Amino acid sequence: MSPVIEALELTRNFPSRSGLIGAKRDVWALRGINLSIARGETVGVVGESGCGKSTLGNILLGLDSPTGGGVRFEGKYLHDFKGAHRRAMRKRMQLVFQDPFGSLDPRRSVGAQIADGLRNHDVVPGSETDAEVARLLTLVGLDPSVAPRRPSQFSGGQRQRIAIARALAPRPDFIVADEPVSALDVSIQAQIVNLLADLREELDLAMLFISHDLHVVRHLCTRVVVMYLGRIVEEGPAEQVFTDPRHPYTQALLAATPSLKRPAGEMGDVLDGELPSPANPPSGCAFRTRCPLATEACAAGVPPLEHIAHDRKVACIRAELTGGKGGLQ
Amino acid sequence: MTRAQRSLYIWLGLAAVLIAFPLLAPVLPLQPTIGMDIPHRFAGPSAANWLGNDEYGRDVLSRIIWGARASLAVAFGSAFCAAVIGTVLGLLGGYFRGITEVLAVRSTEIVICLPPLLLAMLVITILGAGVLTLTVALTILFVPNYTRVVYAATLQTGGLDFVKAQEAMGTHPLKILARTVLPNIVPPLLVQFSLTVASGILLESGLSFLGLGVVPPAPSWGLMIRAARAAMDQQPLLLLWPSLSLAGTVLLLNVICDRLQDVLSPKTAARGGAAWLRRQIKRTPGVPAPEVPLLKIEDLSVGVALEHGSMGLTKGISFEIKPGETMALVGESGSGKTLTGLAMTGLLPNALNVTDGHAWFRTDNGVVDLSALTEDEFGPLRGNEISMVFQDASAALNPVHRIGDQLAEIIQRHRPMPKAQAEEEVVDLLRKVGIPDPERRQRAYPFELSGGQRQRAMIAMAVANAPKLLIADEPTTALDPTIQAQILRLFGKLKDDNPGMGVIFVTHNLAVVKEIATHVSVMYAGQVVEQGTVAEVFADPRHPYTKALLASVPESDAERLESIPGTVPQPGAMPEGCRFAPRCAHAAAACAAPQPLLDTGAGRTTRCLRWADLWKDVA
Repeated sequence: MSPVIEALELTRNFPSRSGLIGAKRDVWALRGINLSIARGETVGVVGESGCGKSTLGNILLGLDSPTGGGVRFEGKYLHDFKGAHRRAMRKRMQLVFQDPFGSLDPRRSVGAQIADGLRNHDVVPGSETDAEVARLLTLVGLDPSVAPRRPSQFSGGQRQRIAIARALAPRPDFIVADEPVSALDVSIQAQIVNLLADLREELDLAMLFISHDLHVVRHLCTRVVVMYLGRIVEEGPAEQVFTDPRHPYTQALLAATPSLKRPAGEMGDVLDGELPSPANPPSGCAFRTRCPLATEACAAGVPPLEHIAHDRKVACIRAELTGGKGGLQ
Repeated sequence: MTRAQRSLYIWLGLAAVLIAFPLLAPVLPLQPTIGMDIPHRFAGPSAANWLGNDEYGRDVLSRIIWGARASLAVAFGSAFCAAVIGTVLGLLGGYFRGITEVLAVRSTEIVICLPPLLLAMLVITILGAGVLTLTVALTILFVPNYTRVVYAATLQTGGLDFVKAQEAMGTHPLKILARTVLPNIVPPLLVQFSLTVASGILLESGLSFLGLGVVPPAPSWGLMIRAARAAMDQQPLLLLWPSLSLAGTVLLLNVICDRLQDVLSPKTAARGGAAWLRRQIKRTPGVPAPEVPLLKIEDLSVGVALEHGSMGLTKGISFEIKPGETMALVGESGSGKTLTGLAMTGLLPNALNVTDGHAWFRTDNGVVDLSALTEDEFGPLRGNEISMVFQDASAALNPVHRIGDQLAEIIQRHRPMPKAQAEEEVVDLLRKVGIPDPERRQRAYPFELSGGQRQRAMIAMAVANAPKLLIADEPTTALDPTIQAQILRLFGKLKDDNPGMGVIFVTHNLAVVKEIATHVSVMYAGQVVEQGTVAEVFADPRHPYTKALLASVPESDAERLESIPGTVPQPGAMPEGCRFAPRCAHAAAACAAPQPLLDTGAGRTTRCLRWADLWKDVA
């Protein structure tokens, strides 16, 4: 199946300066990212804060421009579209935010905010806008009569449903969900995860699901990419990556995730140290400073993301040693 | 209507009455303002001329009212024109940045560099004196203020998610500015407007006083003050009336501005006693202290004081912790888990207080009721026998003091010792909580540490005096998975090092509970719904809420997650009976009555009346 959206050698750096007279230095948020997402597919992006996962989402949506590389939507480069054409493209791609309290305009009714997407792109004739808003609210499990209310009258979970209805209004083909459930309570989180899973099937959406909750990613996603310091270190079908992780970082991440199924006190090996500064990453493999398997060769060059099976890739030169360790139960 | 709104409307009403006079001046039965009446010059107040006559014998009252027309027209006119121009410039500059920002915002800032009065004089010299010129001059003066206020507000609002959502939706940028950004920056704009009007009235009077404003014989407050100053010896009252009008109007506008801020700001100050008031409130225990192993909480309720009575937030919380045990308080937001933790340390927010119940705690000097201690009695306990770890270490550490100094302070507060010895202990502590290179790191400021290290430093402060009870409120929630695992491991190590320490661990993450706690209290809507050891409760939950909560964790192989329909009830609108009943699949008629915590044997309790029917096989 041809991909809806592709990232080709995406690179993004943010210039920064330490102090007033410090040396200028680039912070590398993304380096050489290749990724493609097809219809009906949900790709999970996992990694710790600062690994570049939100930047990736913004660039795929065209809300931020890459420093190098490009994004192709249905075969056409996003950077070829400007002004009104670019705005017309926006209809096809939408975003769901993490914070349900900040993502809705507190001063306008939720119905009006959902209708914005319809009116901007003339999705339905003007006379049918209200009916379409009602349909969207029903789709996300809310009563259509709530349309005239302000966001402050809704709970966190209800707001997230409204935000999803707003994202669905222009009938997008591709959705980026940036930590959509991490601000919600567990029982509400389950409602939203189920909703996203249903919508993906009903509407045949391509979805990028950014999260640091590995359990949610495993439950919802078909494919997963693991990022560390701006690079993809492992990629593959979600079930395989979670049961048989091959990159030492993925293994450490899984071991660090508390689980109800694991007997208490049997937490795996806890990774020492912290994420290095993206302004001053280690030479060679960025993970080598925390890696239990690191050798001198790891400092020599950045390990390429190579196929270890038909649909699995790992960026580790010692990947042959890592099989059969520490999956999620 | 809130108090702030009422107060605003009262002042606005007063302002409306005062503005009505000059507006209605042409129809009011006022004496002429221009015709001279030399025989009556400097006459004092009389029945015909309430405020007396001026140096040409003209009626002062009618000149004040007519003069207000000029003053207010200039002030409101210039404030309004400047608001329109400044808002447009600020919006464009703040939203589009780059070259637009330089043209729109930076260029207006040149005006600020010039002395305002001189600039106004320059404009008037070029264009000639008069009401219209004055308005133009003041508009030029006021534009940069608006531009800067709107620019700053736009920068702030423009970065918010709902603006980004509009961009993602492909809305035209100008439409985003008009429809989404502008309404959200109205509050600071309104406040700026009322400030500018006040300042406009003052400037108009000042310029008229200098002879650069309103042209005589037309009346204006500034002109009246000028004339009265010359005749101060003959009739000092003449100076009083225009000065009073001027000061009164400016004061009134400033008060309205303050009230506006109160009404528009979403963070209206919480009501409740100040800290010194709280010190006085002492609930007498009334009952003798029972023998407790470490901590025993009995029927503890926390409420918020409202204008009429109080509203319960948690109700009848009871649990017991023995030395060495870790009790997890787990529940969703609004369940009251954090409040219960705070009540143990006397750190409840000002508006909240313990309304009922006891929290018996064994100190070195006998058993005390933590819920009835005064602020002064808490002093020797906090940071010593009871200590607390917060979720956000960057907010809980003092940013302007070095980590080592903050630690030494808390050690010396409870155990006086020489500085050198305290420093040694600090280094030991930092090493114990896993901060690398502690000798050097103790000299670091909080911002120089990473998030994980800050959390370690705060944990070091909490365990500095080997507390008997450690209360940790979501200590790992803001951390990344690998760092969370490190901190959980650290908690485990600290518990091994201090086997007598009891821990209350507040969290919403069930998997973390399983990792760290021995006992668990599941909380829902301000009540404990189930209690027991972690292993038993998780393996065999006896309350439908616990069961549903465990099932909603996305770890099962099920295709769909179990979700609990509906939402948590709000305080003030709690169901009469079982608080979970409206969302419960097993609710029966009997659930409409308040539910007690039932003993289900082997130290376990549940607040479900039907637990035995529902899980017969286990009962």
